[in-house]
Amino acid sequence: MIPGMQQAVMNAFQYSLFYLIFSLPLTLSYRTTKVINFAHANFITYGAYVAILLHGILGSNLMSLAVIVAFLLTGSIAVINNMLVFTPLQKRGSSPAIVMISSMGLWIAYKYLLYMITDIANYYTTKNFVSYGRITYSDVPRGSVGGIDFSQALVASLVAASLTVVLLYILLEKTKIGRAMRAVADNPSLAEISGIPRALIINLTWFICGGIVGVGGVIWTSFSGAITPEAGDSMILQVFTVGFIGGLVSLLRTGIGAVLIAAIENVGIAVLNAFFGIPVSFRPFLTFATLITTLIAFPPLGAGGGLPYRFLRRGSKK
Amino acid sequence: MIGFDIVGFMISWLTLFGIYAILSLTLNLESGTAGITNFGKVVFYGVGAYISATLTTYLVLMLNGVNVGEKPPYSVDGIILLGELGNKNPLLNIGLLVLSLVLAFIIAGVLGYLLTYPILRVGPAFVGFTLLSSGELLRIFLQHYEPVGASKGLMAIPTPFGWVAESRVREVAYLCLVLGLLALTYVVTYKLVNSPLGRTLRALRDDEIAALCLGKHVPRIKATVLFIGSGFAGMAGVLLAYYLTSVNPNMFVPAVTFNVWAMIILGGFGNLKGSLVGAAIVTFVDRALTFITPQLGITVISPDYLRWVIVGLLIVVVLIVNPKGLFPEKPIKTPAIDVVLEELRGGSK
Repeated sequence: MIPGMQQAVMNAFQYSLFYLIFSLPLTLSYRTTKVINFAHANFITYGAYVAILLHGILGSNLMSLAVIVAFLLTGSIAVINNMLVFTPLQKRGSSPAIVMISSMGLWIAYKYLLYMITDIANYYTTKNFVSYGRITYSDVPRGSVGGIDFSQALVASLVAASLTVVLLYILLEKTKIGRAMRAVADNPSLAEISGIPRALIINLTWFICGGIVGVGGVIWTSFSGAITPEAGDSMILQVFTVGFIGGLVSLLRTGIGAVLIAAIENVGIAVLNAFFGIPVSFRPFLTFATLITTLIAFPPLGAGGGLPYRFLRRGSKK
Repeated sequence: MIGFDIVGFMISWLTLFGIYAILSLTLNLESGTAGITNFGKVVFYGVGAYISATLTTYLVLMLNGVNVGEKPPYSVDGIILLGELGNKNPLLNIGLLVLSLVLAFIIAGVLGYLLTYPILRVGPAFVGFTLLSSGELLRIFLQHYEPVGASKGLMAIPTPFGWVAESRVREVAYLCLVLGLLALTYVVTYKLVNSPLGRTLRALRDDEIAALCLGKHVPRIKATVLFIGSGFAGMAGVLLAYYLTSVNPNMFVPAVTFNVWAMIILGGFGNLKGSLVGAAIVTFVDRALTFITPQLGITVISPDYLRWVIVGLLIVVVLIVNPKGLFPEKPIKTPAIDVVLEELRGGSK
């Protein structure tokens, strides 16, 4: 038995819940809007900083309050991005690559805007917002059941992840709005002809997706020991790899990807650390290896302009 | 004006411009002309910088008979020794510069060549993301790898012209070196863009399937372009390391890549002159912000953060307002076209 294996498995479970909350909206938003949104990382960080600023400046200890504010804020940011940047670009007929590059620009701008906000907040409150400690909330239960320690982060992410999955399922499968979203995803022009308000549906999708990720960011503050404005960026590799495993299309495969990546990272690095002494901070390399393997072995076609064929080796006649 | 050193400003701006223009020219070759969404320019830049820093500091100490096992260049002893020994031998310093440039070109180029393998089969989003995350991995690796100084990085790198006593002369000599390499890069990229390979690249960018059907070996062409582009980016990294005389992992954040992207978007995709102008404008704003903000007495907002916000917004605004940039791409005139036009006019025979 490898020392720390139980901890690694618990971590894998915890991380798979986080990746689920962060990646499902990525897949959903790409599927419906056809925009690869690299500003996704900002939603995580802004969600986390809503909680931090509420805690640090207003002294609020309520996760429920932070969750509501974060959902509204990050959801609105997503809608604003769409209305001011993505939709005008798509209307002009820009290629998906150009829209993607614009989301990169947004990512950099939002990220360093947050750095400026933390500096200003630091100036007026003399608290260190650039590296903020874990927040203990007063309205989230915690305890130990059957020898397993349920931390606040585990309870909150368990609730949030199951709510996300159940509500998304009900929304997409059982309601008219969900059917409209799926119609826009499958064939935007046909959906518009049949009277579905496409622009409204796309804005709604952005609002829901941005909001869910923001809530995940709030929960992240009860888990991570030091939250920095890089919090979202440090997870972008994992979140996008999970999305890529799902081909940015299938929500089910995205869910499987979340569990897979969390397991590979946490259990894999525990094994490597025990046997080869590889530092734990090298765990993103495992995710990167998975990403490369996915791209070589199962190239996700279609998404983001992939080619519907594979290159043949020269001279292979079969 | 409160003690504004205009010559110093010009030298620092032009040096930075030279380094970034090498990056923007090659990125324009890769992304503007060949359509590879390279979000990982910083990988090759960083690799180049670290190769020259590691090579120079270790070799200077070892050739002077210092046991680097006991006094490695990242330790305090090593840094003091580097300061004493580093700038005495002109031949050694120049030789190290040449060696660094050659090695950086080869290693960064081969890395770029290898990184094309996993991304050949997939679309621009996956290509961009894979290269972007390889940049982050490089940073994580450097932060935890002790022989290159881990998170502190390497300091007191002996510079090629360190033996020149006069500091202004030293700066100008270095500026000439940077501009010389920039001229070389411009000639190479210009020749490439206007060659048959350059026209193939445009075909590949505009319709990859059509290019493939016409018998172009798409994977090999992409790999070649990334080899050349990454090699030059590695050389730019070498120039940066010698210019700043120190390297650390946090210099190579993804935002650096987007700084270069902002330059080529502002200047115009597929237009090399545009990349030069874009690099000049963005680096000028960068330098100006660094010079001006302290004089205005603003301390709450760091000019670094302000610069990155401006870069990000610049990308978005230019793409929305004027997606072709300041200098739109022009059709290439080949000798063949002149002949055809001449024949159409009925003049030649």
